[in-house]
Amino acid sequence: MASLGSLTLLATFVAAAYAVAASVAGARRRSTPLIDSGIGAFYLTAGLLTVTSAIIVRAFVVGDFTIRYVQHYSDSVQPLAYKIASYWGGLDGSILFWVFLLSVFGTVAVAVNRERHRELIPWVVAVIAATEMFFIFIMVVHNNPFDTFLTTPPAEGKGLNPLLQNFYMAIHPPSLYTGFVAMTIPYAFGIAALVTGHLDDSWLRAVRRWTMIGWLFLTFGLTLGMLWAYEELGWGGFWAWDPVENAGLLPWFTATAFLHSVMVQERRGMLRVWNVTLVIVTFFLTIFGTFMTRSGVVQSVHAFGEDHWLAGVFSAFMVVIVVFSFGLVLYRLPLLKSRHELDSWMSREAAFLANNWILLFSAFFVLFATMFPTLAEAVTGHRLTVGPPFFNKWMLPIGLILLLLTGIAPLLAWRKTTLTNLLALFTWPAAATLVTGAAVYTLGIRVWTSGLCFAFCAFVFVTIIQEFVRGAAVRKGASGTDILTAMIGLVGRSRRRYGGYIVHAGIVLMFLGFAGQGYKQDAQLLLKPGQQATVGAFTLRHDALTVTSDDQKQMITGHVTVSRSGRVIAQMEPAKWFFARHEEQPTTEVAIRRAPGEDLYIVLAGYEVETQTATYAVTINPLINWIWLGFGVLAFGTGIALLPERAFAFAIAKVPAGAVTTGLMLLLVLLPATARAAQNGGQADQRSARVKALEGQFMCMCGGCRAAMNNCPMAPGCHGLRDQEPKLEAYVAQGMSDEAIKAAFVKEYGEEILLEPPDHGFNKLAWLFPYLMGGAGAAAIGMVAWRWSRTPQQTVAPSAHPAAAGEDAALKEKLEDELRDLD
Amino acid sequence: MSSKAVKIAVTCVVLAAALGGLLYTTLSDGTEYYMHVDEVMTDPSAWQGKHLQLHGFVNDLRQRPNSLDYRFQVQNNGKVVTASYSGVVPDTFKNGSEVVLKGRLRGGDFQVEPNGVLAKCPSRYNPNAAGPTGAGS
Repeated sequence: MASLGSLTLLATFVAAAYAVAASVAGARRRSTPLIDSGIGAFYLTAGLLTVTSAIIVRAFVVGDFTIRYVQHYSDSVQPLAYKIASYWGGLDGSILFWVFLLSVFGTVAVAVNRERHRELIPWVVAVIAATEMFFIFIMVVHNNPFDTFLTTPPAEGKGLNPLLQNFYMAIHPPSLYTGFVAMTIPYAFGIAALVTGHLDDSWLRAVRRWTMIGWLFLTFGLTLGMLWAYEELGWGGFWAWDPVENAGLLPWFTATAFLHSVMVQERRGMLRVWNVTLVIVTFFLTIFGTFMTRSGVVQSVHAFGEDHWLAGVFSAFMVVIVVFSFGLVLYRLPLLKSRHELDSWMSREAAFLANNWILLFSAFFVLFATMFPTLAEAVTGHRLTVGPPFFNKWMLPIGLILLLLTGIAPLLAWRKTTLTNLLALFTWPAAATLVTGAAVYTLGIRVWTSGLCFAFCAFVFVTIIQEFVRGAAVRKGASGTDILTAMIGLVGRSRRRYGGYIVHAGIVLMFLGFAGQGYKQDAQLLLKPGQQATVGAFTLRHDALTVTSDDQKQMITGHVTVSRSGRVIAQMEPAKWFFARHEEQPTTEVAIRRAPGEDLYIVLAGYEVETQTATYAVTINPLINWIWLGFGVLAFGTGIALLPERAFAFAIAKVPAGAVTTGLMLLLVLLPATARAAQNGGQADQRSARVKALEGQFMCMCGGCRAAMNNCPMAPGCHGLRDQEPKLEAYVAQGMSDEAIKAAFVKEYGEEILLEPPDHGFNKLAWLFPYLMGGAGAAAIGMVAWRWSRTPQQTVAPSAHPAAAGEDAALKEKLEDELRDLD
Repeated sequence: MSSKAVKIAVTCVVLAAALGGLLYTTLSDGTEYYMHVDEVMTDPSAWQGKHLQLHGFVNDLRQRPNSLDYRFQVQNNGKVVTASYSGVVPDTFKNGSEVVLKGRLRGGDFQVEPNGVLAKCPSRYNPNAAGPTGAGS
């Protein structure tokens, strides 16, 4: 199988090379058959890479340890999900995964745009295929994931690093890679436009959508990375300005800048060189980020280790990208002339320009600070490093300015804002800022930087609401519906604009979470059993220390009872897990009690089994959950902005007045129910399932079996169960929480009734559940909208049509008119 | 046209100078020197009070009973410095382990700042097979 894998890799390289050659030749000779054959070869690379991926995944699943890569990153006892995730757990596989994703994205992009951008497609194919060639070349020559052992292969694998055996680690890299890879598509379109000279604004449409998709995945990947750091690494924070995190952040800055400045080009025909440059820089930074993490130029916790050959090849590739891309830009400079000049600094384009400069400066700054140790060593010979405080010193003010701009820009008009307009629009947001600021000040909350952040959040939030209300009021006046229907109609009419506002709302929520970090408290407690200590509002009592094991690992668990103002609110079980063959690096299993206000975060930092003493590192993280929630809102907004043109608009036009309000009310009634279901796993049919789940957590105390209650071999007739089961059911019937039931059982039977602490896998899934629900909901809405947009055209009698159309046109005209003032 | 170009150039220069100056001043108190014990201890007076990341090996590790206070020696190439730390230490922090300590040298004592102990693991992707399951700290 290994040789088959190497063979398909080689074949892919040949296919990609042909795709490049045929596309370039076909485009230059204007030969359709050649171009078509190039596209065919391009599709073939995606097919071949799918086969290659299937081969390596199969090797992981069946445990083919003759392949070095498989032997290194997996073993036979690993759960299936992690066996598959091991595919991208190491360097070689992650490169393969990267190309695979690129080929899939490329295929979709080409298939979608083949007709619409006929003249660009051959060049798009050539650029993407050339990028694929580079990565396949690395694999074939240097990092072949299908390398086998020259000696006798070991019988068992080394196993994936325990830190990576984690729910988020299974999905965080794919998401970040997807974001990185998606940025190749806009670059390919940009280069195609430059080569062909078709630099009218039509190519921007395709580019903008793909950048948005890439941006969404990048944001998702970064957020998941934060979640992973927060839940798995156990230091209480979520972002440490580690080079690998920064690598993901760099293209995010430039892509964000592009998504804003592209509007200036569409509206005003300005910033054309700038936009092309941003597209190129974004792509460059994705390659640079990969280079940084793969070649070991910078020291990082999660870099893959030093490799000079790789560093050299990547550097060469980056030089080629820069010279080629900017050479083309220089060559096409005459075609990229601006159509307008900046009229006034009090205009939206000026605000966007400021936003762009700041974002670009952020990218530059983060790049500089990340590379600083490497640069300093080269210059001074001393290894100087800069830590998170340095990053924070710069990025906090920058973040605040960006947040403020998020609020200001939508209030400014294109071209020029009049003073009266400005006053009218700024009254409410400014008032909200002042009120929040005053509240922050009187409450004694530190003004710099968290207090300021709260005030700015209020500013942006009120701006967004004001925009929605203003637009809806205009639409309501024009169409005579109620305000909510008008608001939905508004979003449907200009999805990008209002989707963008929703994204901004998500960003505001995330900033709330960041600001909460200003009030973070932490403590380190050394406790004997029965001792307690107070951190913030919580009192923690150390009950016991237990040692358990399963076939993969040994687990040391601390049992902590948490109470607030005298009431027990939770039983928490932070643990350390020692995976077999990785005993040197135990993983930290953090216990987190989540709440909208503040998270209680406990880590078992040290222990002594003989004396049952435990050291806990406790962190109180205020508002942190708003970051994750903010991402949900952001994703929803991006989804709206990405919705295809006709589906939504038509559906909205046909909705009877009042339908939206009714629907929304229904949704509001249903939402809390689903949210609760997400947390408890469904309410109605849950009773018995919950009892069953709990039975899995307690030991049957009959004295003979030492098995879980639901697993006792003496089952129905066992005297232990006869005693325990009714109690458990009674507790559940009383509506006690799992923790309380656990506490009650422990009180009665002692610690040994607890089986090993539950693997938190499912809890994590439950946490993701609302997002999945959101995604499914959005998909459902899209489907309905699409259906809606089709049926009326078939059912409405032709005679009724002209009238409706006339009314529509009148409405549309009036709307355009009034909204023009707003824009 | 040319006056516009001049304006732009002047703006750029001023901005670049301001930001560069700011960067330089903040950089000087944001940086930490990454040094080995022997490099520092050949001339300790030159490094007094400076922000350091000290690389060396732990020796003679002592913990005050019922507390999180540690005193230990860090050595490298025959040079030794005494260090003190109060707080939670990583699992791999024991006698003989390779560490990077963030802190400052004050007198003859290297004071490690909170959360300033980083134990180096051999390599993240090549963990050493089999080792005693430590009893923790």
